[in-house]
Amino acid sequence: MGVEHPAVRAGDSRPLVAEWLTVRQIVTYRSNVVRAQGELRVVDTVVPFVAPTTAESPHRVRIIDGTLACLARHGTVKTTVDDIARESGVSRATVYRAFPGGRDEILGAVVDTEMARLFSALGVRLGNAGDLTTALVGGIVEASTRLRDHAALHFLAEHEPGMILGHLAFDESDRLLVTASRFTAPFLARWMSPHEAERVAEWAARIVLSYAISPSDHVDLCDEGDATRLVTTFMLPGIEALQSASSGPIDITPYTSDGSDPDGGPGSTAGEATESAR
Amino acid sequence: MSVDSRQRIIEATYACVARRGMAKTTVEDVAREAGISRATVYRAFPGGRDELIDATVSWAVLDFFAKLYERIQGATDLEEVMERGIMFAHRSIVEHEVLQRVMQTEPDTLLPALTVESIRIREGIAQVLAPFVVDRGLAPGVDLDAAADFLARMVLSYISAPGRWDLEDPDQVARLVRFELLAGVVVTADSR
Repeated sequence: MGVEHPAVRAGDSRPLVAEWLTVRQIVTYRSNVVRAQGELRVVDTVVPFVAPTTAESPHRVRIIDGTLACLARHGTVKTTVDDIARESGVSRATVYRAFPGGRDEILGAVVDTEMARLFSALGVRLGNAGDLTTALVGGIVEASTRLRDHAALHFLAEHEPGMILGHLAFDESDRLLVTASRFTAPFLARWMSPHEAERVAEWAARIVLSYAISPSDHVDLCDEGDATRLVTTFMLPGIEALQSASSGPIDITPYTSDGSDPDGGPGSTAGEATESAR
Repeated sequence: MSVDSRQRIIEATYACVARRGMAKTTVEDVAREAGISRATVYRAFPGGRDELIDATVSWAVLDFFAKLYERIQGATDLEEVMERGIMFAHRSIVEHEVLQRVMQTEPDTLLPALTVESIRIREGIAQVLAPFVVDRGLAPGVDLDAAADFLARMVLSYISAPGRWDLEDPDQVARLVRFELLAGVVVTADSR
């Protein structure tokens, strides 16, 4: 899928694993989200927004999946282009035709692809949800399950912890939360103001990360029932409280279910701003 | 080996790490810093350097939480405990020069150790918060352990990565705590 994006220049050689959450990518994901919204289906086998550095190769996805298998066994340090070629069932030359930048370019494409797969799946769950609870539960279960089942991620977390944990700690965690919530917030904005949607999306991302990094004996967020309990017990009352406590025009503007902006300023719709009596 | 000597060795290790990082800190350096022999260090920490580093990370984390605990003393209710705790903890992390530097230079060594510690930290926070939750009044149908664990996870998450919240701003912290975090956990303010 040779979708050109102005933010991704052809021939751009990137030490990508280290900078997979750059602003450029955030922008790229975001623009793809909007476009993806009209047509909600899992785009699991394409790289929707990474502009290939050469003519499109039909082997890209195959090589990316082969690389994932290598990473799950040996990590990034011990995976060579030869390993990747063998695992993908193509020649070394084919690998280099698809990824002239070699190993680093492949690793970058793997990260991009896995992010795109996660976000595509999240987009489907969130887009198809008919109410806020279903959206939150679906998003949390989807993300948690994908993190739990990601063999390459687990190998790296154990053997090359800096690579993974580095993205989950402190400032990097902030960037990850911003990326994840920017993507999911527009879906939640069907039930709340965009401003609150961003906070709630960030909150959900925190919850997923917390339980993924440090699993609980009592709560399994891959389980629909557990996730529903957590959402209804802790999140929904918090969201309601935040909405009813909100001050300022952006926060109290009610949003209709189709996401359209109601006419008039904040004052004209104050009556239906919140259902809770304050 | 007395507790005091162990403590002295750990503090010496911390001083070495602060100066030149974890990787470059040797048992020799620690012994010199503490003014004792290498053999004495090994008697206290038979695992050598690795054990020293782990013990030092644990100690630094405990030290951090001892200060945090001090900071919330005298707080009268759950809201105040959480607000004071979140603000203090966040500021301490941001201003913790050694932590910030080692995070930049040696994440591969520090992060796994901190991840292990984070489980203890979370349990510690949950234990501190639980009685305040009971005092404040647990929302009907909510399990105390589940609520305390959830709050502890959220506190940890926010203090290390505040996201869109400005944790320097007392009004925002109050909003985060009173509305987002506690709304489902305790009986609502209206029914208090």
